[in-house]
This record gives sequence, C-alpha cells and structure tokens, in this order.
Amino acid sequence: MLRAYLAFAKKSFLQKSAYRFDHFMGIFNTILRIFIFWEIYQALYGGRAEVDGITMSMVTTNFILSMGLSVVFKVNDFYLPDKLQDGSIATELLLPVSFHGRMLASNLGSSLFQLVFHFVPALVVSVLIMGMEAPVSAPMFILFLVSTLFGYFVLWSISFLMQMMSFWMLNVWAVMTIKDVFVNVLSGSMIPLWFMPNWMQGVLKFTPFSYIYFTPVQIYLGQLSIKEIFIRFAMQAFWIFVLLMAGAFFWKKGQKKIVVQGG
Amino acid sequence: MSFIDVEQVSKSFRINKRSAGVAGMLMNLVAPKYEKKQAVKDISFQIEKGEMVGFIGPNGAGKSTTIKMLSGILYPDSGKISVNGYIPYKQRKEYVARIGVVFGQKSQLQWDLPVIDSFELLKAIYSIKEDVYKKNLNRFVDMLDMGGFVNQPVRQLSLGQRMRADIVAALLHSPEIVFFDEPTIGVDVLGKETIREFIRELNAQDQVTMLFTTHDMQDIEKTCNRLIIIDKGSKMYDGSLQSIREKYGTERRLIVELNQEEELEGIEGVTIDNLENRKKSLSFDNNQVNINDLMNNLLQKYSIRDLTVSEPEIESIIQKMYNGEV
Ligand SMILES: Nc1ncnc2c1ncn2[C@@H]1O[C@H](COP(=O)(O)OP(=O)(O)OP(=O)(O)O)[C@@H](O)[C@H]1O
Ligand SMILES: [Mg+2]
Repeated sequence: MLRAYLAFAKKSFLQKSAYRFDHFMGIFNTILRIFIFWEIYQALYGGRAEVDGITMSMVTTNFILSMGLSVVFKVNDFYLPDKLQDGSIATELLLPVSFHGRMLASNLGSSLFQLVFHFVPALVVSVLIMGMEAPVSAPMFILFLVSTLFGYFVLWSISFLMQMMSFWMLNVWAVMTIKDVFVNVLSGSMIPLWFMPNWMQGVLKFTPFSYIYFTPVQIYLGQLSIKEIFIRFAMQAFWIFVLLMAGAFFWKKGQKKIVVQGG
Repeated sequence: MSFIDVEQVSKSFRINKRSAGVAGMLMNLVAPKYEKKQAVKDISFQIEKGEMVGFIGPNGAGKSTTIKMLSGILYPDSGKISVNGYIPYKQRKEYVARIGVVFGQKSQLQWDLPVIDSFELLKAIYSIKEDVYKKNLNRFVDMLDMGGFVNQPVRQLSLGQRMRADIVAALLHSPEIVFFDEPTIGVDVLGKETIREFIRELNAQDQVTMLFTTHDMQDIEKTCNRLIIIDKGSKMYDGSLQSIREKYGTERRLIVELNQEEELEGIEGVTIDNLENRKKSLSFDNNQVNINDLMNNLLQKYSIRDLTVSEPEIESIIQKMYNGEV
C-alpha cells in the first residue's frame, strides 16, 4: 500500500526536476525576496541594536527561515480544482488509493525536492550575504524541526480544506488568493509577528496562521519555554486535526456532487 | 444475487441555463437558473460472471454515466448497484482494485512519460506482483502488437496506439471485471479487429466479465452475445443478439440475377426493385412470405443465374430502434 504513495511522491519529485531553468530562477527569486525584506528592515532599524527587544539579526533569521521554508511548504492549491475542471477526477478515482493520501504524497515528493534543491542553496547564499542566528541549542533545534513538520501540515491542511470548496464553486482562484493573503500577512513571513500590536498577537493565537512559520522560528531562537513549546505543539496538532476533519467532511459531501466533465 | 446487479438506478445532472449575451451573463450571476437533466432513468439489469455484454444507445443515452456509476466514480441519485458484493461508490478503494475501466475518450496514461513508465507506475499503485506483472505485460503487448511503441512517450502515440496502451493499462492487475467505454473510437479497421480479438480472448480464456459500449455494431457482433440498449436514460432492450434479429429483423432481401433482361410479375407481399445488370431485389417480411416457396416459384417461372438471400444488418435494426420504428 505504501508502495503506491511512494510512487506518487517519487513521480512529483522527478517532475519538479524537469524544469531546470525555472528552478534556478526560483532560487534567485527567493534570495532576492529575503534580501529586499532584509534591506527594508535594516532601514527601519536605522542602526539601532534592537526594537521592542528584537534584534536585527533575529529579524533576519525570521525572514530567512520563514521565506525559505515557504518554498518547501508550497502546496498546489489547484490539485483537486484542476482535476474537477478537466474531468481527470474520473481516472483519479479509478486508482485503488485514497485520494487524500495521493494528494499528500504528491506534495511531499515536490516538497522534498524543494527542501534539498531550493531551500538549502537559498539558505546558504542568504546566510553568506546577511548572516543569521545560530540555533540556541541542539535540543531546541530538534524541537524546531518537529514544529516545522507540524507547521508544514498546518499549511497543507488549510489548502486541503480550501480545495474542497471547488465542489461547490466553479472557480476557486479568488478564494485561494484571499487565503494566500491571510497566510502571508498573518504567518509572520512578511511582518514578523513580534511587531504586530498586542491585541493582534492575542487574536492570532486562535488562528492557525501563526503556527505555520512563526512557532518554529520562535523555538529556533529560544524564545519559548519548554512548557510553551508543548502548548504550541498541541495547538499545531489541534489545527491539523480540525482542518483535516473539516476537509474530510466536505470531501464526503462533495464526492456525491462529482460530475465528470467531458464524455 | 447476480454478479453485477443494477436496480432502478437513476442519475441526473444540474445544468446551468443561461441566456445569451451580457444581460444573460448578469442575470446568471444574480439569479442562476438550473435545469435538471435526467441522464439515467430507473435502469435495472443483471450480468453474470463471465458474460460479455454490449451496451449501446445513441449519443447522450446515458451509457457513459452508467459506466461511471458502475466504476464507483459517480454516486447514483437513487437505486442500488452491487458488483461482486461491493457497492462501487461506497467501497471505492477496495472495489476499483478489482476492476478495470477503459474510457476511450480519456487516457489514464502519463502524458509525458514513455508508455512503459506508466505501466511501472500502475504496478506500484496496484501492488502487482513482479511475476504477474511480467506475465500480463508480455502477453498483452504481444496480443496487441505493441512492441514497437512501449518505449515511446504517450504524447507521441497515434490514437490507435494510445488506445491499445490504455487497454493494457486497465488490465495489468488482472481485473475480474472490465468496463469498456468506446474502446474502438477513432481506431482503424485493422486496429479494431485486433482489439476485438483481444477482448474475445480475454473473455474466453480468463472468464473476465465485460460491459462494452460502442457505436460500431461490428464491435458488438464480433464480441458480444448479449445486448443492452438504452435510449434517453431508459433501457429499451435486453437480450441476445440472435433474438433481436428474430424479433425485429424479419425483413429479408432476395437478390435475383436473371439470365436475360425481363420484368418480374408482381408477387403479394414482396417489393421488387430493379438493380443494375439484370439484377432484381425482392424485399419481404419473413413472417408473411415463405422464402422457400418464393424461391421455387421464381425458379420455375424464370431463367435464373444466381440467387442470394441477405439477412438484415444488425446496424439497420438498431437504427430503426433508435428511430422508434420497432
Ligand atoms: N458533467 C455533466 N454535466 C451535465 N450533464 C451531463 C454531464 N455528463 C453527462 N451529462 C448529460 O447526461 C446525458 C447522458 O450522457 P452520457 O455521457 O452518459 O451519454 P452517452 O450515452 O455516453 O453518450 P455518447 O454516446 O455520446 O458517449 C447527456 O444528455 C449529457 O448531456
Ligand atoms: Mg459516452
């Protein structure tokens, strides 16, 4: 059974490697984005050692990690919508595998590729140019990796749920764009959440967004106590569970509405 | 219970009714109007293990919709489907591992990979054992004469080649039931013959149960014994090919070639048409006119060089059925 999903992951891994030029442009783009935000925040800091107790090097670390990870976390939001639109959902459903498992496996395959061939080079170049904080300790680094994995699934589950809307909407492009705005702004990858007003930070605790990149970054920087870290893990797990359950619920409803376009 | 049991199954689609032009578009945005299109209406049939059944009907009759429900892709609105004890749309994952489906109009192969890579992927997806995979692959590639193109990317294949590759893809895991939805569409005469031969052998040797839609009556005549005809979502006929001929194909034609040019006298119940070269065509109803009497009669009266009787083409019977003439 696992063999099938490995095959899907391998396929999307290999597919990713097919477009070499696009790939190099992508790495360049990632470094450029990190660099631009770094320059903006350097100007804002104006040579001060810290703002609200946050040093420039912490800000840099936040950008490198969250923007770098965002290329690994990238989900194909149109996986299901495209298949519903062009009727290929029919041949998908003929395969003796869980459609959700297949979605995830494909995503994991391309994420692995992105991790090795996009994130790592972009990280190395960015650190050489801008520098970055080292992890506070080895145990913290391991906890950071754990929360990164959770963060990945939080984002994936958000996309999973949103994709289910395509059973009811002919075009989910607008919905996905709004989702992306929420994720970009509220996850801390553009404005580090430290600089959000206090009330906003309070509200964000009750949304899934801060658990995608910001929680791992905070753990990496040693900002959270062990107790706090486990609360964050619990929240990440909670959101993954809730989002997946909601997605599975809509999948069940939606499946009955499937029509196959074209023949 | 039968192997395949379809009981009073219905399926309708919701179609957005939109009038033309900008006004229509705006109206549709504010108050969309939907119309229900009944694609399948109360269809019932049973198929036993090892049967090979032709499933035909005019365009839009509901054939593909029925096949999609049988393959677990679409949910019926009402009615019951059970195949080998499975409820296709409820136990999809376990069920589809045991069936094969070929959609002539939709390829299941990976567009940019060589055919063989798609097969390897399917081997992993279905967890096909190495020896079974090898055996099936060699056998099918040989039977369908595919040696020349298994290493070519799918996008470079001709339609007929792609169709054969798709058929193999659907059969690698040795399914016990196969649904074919127009597996010969766009395939040339020779290719069709190869596919028919393949299907026949699979049914005869492996006892694979098959349901087969097509618009080519030759496909049916050469492969199936039983025929289900549907039109506008309802079943119109279910029975053997032979009995459809007996029941509806009572018209016979006798072609008479005379030794010299002469007119035939009128015969009761027989329509006479003049063909070229002293040939006449005599059409009559098998139930009204006895063919032996007619032939004897003719042989006594005229100097006849040749006599041939032609049975009606199944094609023309079906044509009449579609037109509501029988
Ligand atoms: N996705 C869909 N949305 C709306 N209506 C549909 C859809 N699919 C099929 N229909 C309608 O359902 C009816 C039956 O279609 P179906 O594809 O089952 O016909 P068919 O017998 O396979 O015809 P053909 O011989 O042309 O392939 C048609 O009237 C068609 O317009
Ligand atoms: Mg069809």
